[in-house]
Amino acid sequence: MKMHDVVIIGAGPAGLSAAIQCRTYDLSVVVIDEFPKAGGRLLGQLHEEPNGEWWNGIKESNLLIEEAENLKTDIRLGVSVHHVERLENHYVVHTNTEHVAAKTVLIATGAAESAAPIPGWTLPGVMSIGAAQVMTNVHRVSVGEKGIVVGVNVLSAAIARELQLAGVDLHSMALPATNVVSEDQSNPRAVMERLVRIAHLAPSKFIQFGSKFATFEFVRNIALNFYPKDGIKMWDMPIHLRKAIKEINGTDRVESVTMVDVTPDGDIIRNTERTIEVDFVCIAGGLYPLGELAAVVGCPFEYNEALGGHVPIHNEAMETPIDGVYVAGNITGIESAKVAREQGKVAGLSIVKALTDNAEVAEKVDAAITNVQQTRDEATIQFHPEINEGRATISASFEQLIK
Amino acid sequence: MKDVIICRCEEVSLTDLEDAAKKYNCSARELKLRTRAGMGFCGGRTCRPAVDKVLTSITGEDPTNNIPLKVAPPVRPLSLSDLGGVNHD
Ligand SMILES: Cc1cc2nc3c(=O)[nH]c(=O)nc-3n(C[C@H](O)[C@H](O)[C@H](O)COP(=O)(O)OP(=O)(O)OC[C@H]3O[C@@H](n4cnc5c(N)ncnc54)[C@H](O)[C@@H]3O)c2cc1C
Repeated sequence: MKMHDVVIIGAGPAGLSAAIQCRTYDLSVVVIDEFPKAGGRLLGQLHEEPNGEWWNGIKESNLLIEEAENLKTDIRLGVSVHHVERLENHYVVHTNTEHVAAKTVLIATGAAESAAPIPGWTLPGVMSIGAAQVMTNVHRVSVGEKGIVVGVNVLSAAIARELQLAGVDLHSMALPATNVVSEDQSNPRAVMERLVRIAHLAPSKFIQFGSKFATFEFVRNIALNFYPKDGIKMWDMPIHLRKAIKEINGTDRVESVTMVDVTPDGDIIRNTERTIEVDFVCIAGGLYPLGELAAVVGCPFEYNEALGGHVPIHNEAMETPIDGVYVAGNITGIESAKVAREQGKVAGLSIVKALTDNAEVAEKVDAAITNVQQTRDEATIQFHPEINEGRATISASFEQLIK
Repeated sequence: MKDVIICRCEEVSLTDLEDAAKKYNCSARELKLRTRAGMGFCGGRTCRPAVDKVLTSITGEDPTNNIPLKVAPPVRPLSLSDLGGVNHD
């Protein structure tokens, strides 16, 4: 088995930009991704920034792919990694086609979507909001004739807009009816608070609505108590914070949903059921870092809500406490693609620093770390308002552990 | 209201989990083993956060810093010939 310098798992913005750094310094690199195209979640993204510019994920991915290819990077697509084995002084990455050995491993596997189960969610025609994004923007397949989005958050608002731009008819966005799993996704107060705190960053007019006033709790309460019956419209599509989807109905596939009114605390108001005919339903339960391979190789984890769930402990240089294992991108916390890309750069440079004795690289690592923070501060899409606190906590945990 | 399926690969419903928890008064891990919630084809990638939440709410166990449902390789479905290494060195 050939010994490589690094195996990078995940060809999203984080993995690709790490690969570019490593190849720039001529390390031997293998990038592995199970999707048939490189680019990761970037591929599906399309939104308008507050300055009027468009963020086109396919274009951004192509830039990274081109750069990586110019540097003759070995990218293996359609290959799944199912295990990372730690041996005495190297790693063996197990895939469905081969074993690849390397001195270091970068795990850049991104995020996965949380399901928000409601009765009927297993019917054909129900999909996650991310699946709708991939079908629409990557595969260019129509998801259906008329649908509804269950779950109101930054991601679902952004993707609902993308669906609309693609000519997909959406009835509205509403909350999932309350159950043990949906918890605060079904609580109008919690949803409103999250939306308001990110309002100034959000790409959508809806989320910017009245944000100046709604930072005061009493204003939010009034807003919820008098929330318009027809919802608040974003690009002509109603967003409902006082209506929830209780059930998805159909025999062999989705035929309709049952919508109910809810109180400002999310309790269902009796006798308000009505049926809305739709042929598809997008469920948006939020994102969580996909850390399975980091867990398998033995990284310690921390539960960190601001970062989106369980994340492998790491420092700002993207090192984990396990020698030779690095992480970057959404596996370290849910943030926008631009942040993931900058983190990938840090990870790539850290690996170069560890494997070569090039004095200029240490400085470059520091500069790249500064860039991550700057990108974070300027991010249009922020998934959690306390992201900076979350980052500080995880860095502190790393220092604690190393001591 | 219809019963909610929590783990769709193994078709485990919320009621299944609640009933098993009541009957055996067990830990989150045991509940998972008894019902197979989160142990299907997708390896828990679809339902893991949901199963975790249900188990926490039923058993009252704290969401600790350990991943509650331990992750074990292989983390993707795999054919036996691939696992056995017939196709590689
Ligand atoms: C559904 C969804 C929609 C999103 N929409 C937006 C958006 O509109 N705007 C925004 O800014 N951010 C969005 N994000 C956040 C997004 O994760 C980041 O923008 C960015 O793509 C993260 O980059 P990454 O490189 O960390 O991971 P990703 O881009 O997710 O790339 C990870 C790659 O790893 C691969 N992979 C994972 N596990 C394995 C394995 N075991 N074997 C082989 N390959 C593997 C995946 O196939 C994937 O290509 C979205 C995320 C999701 C999940």
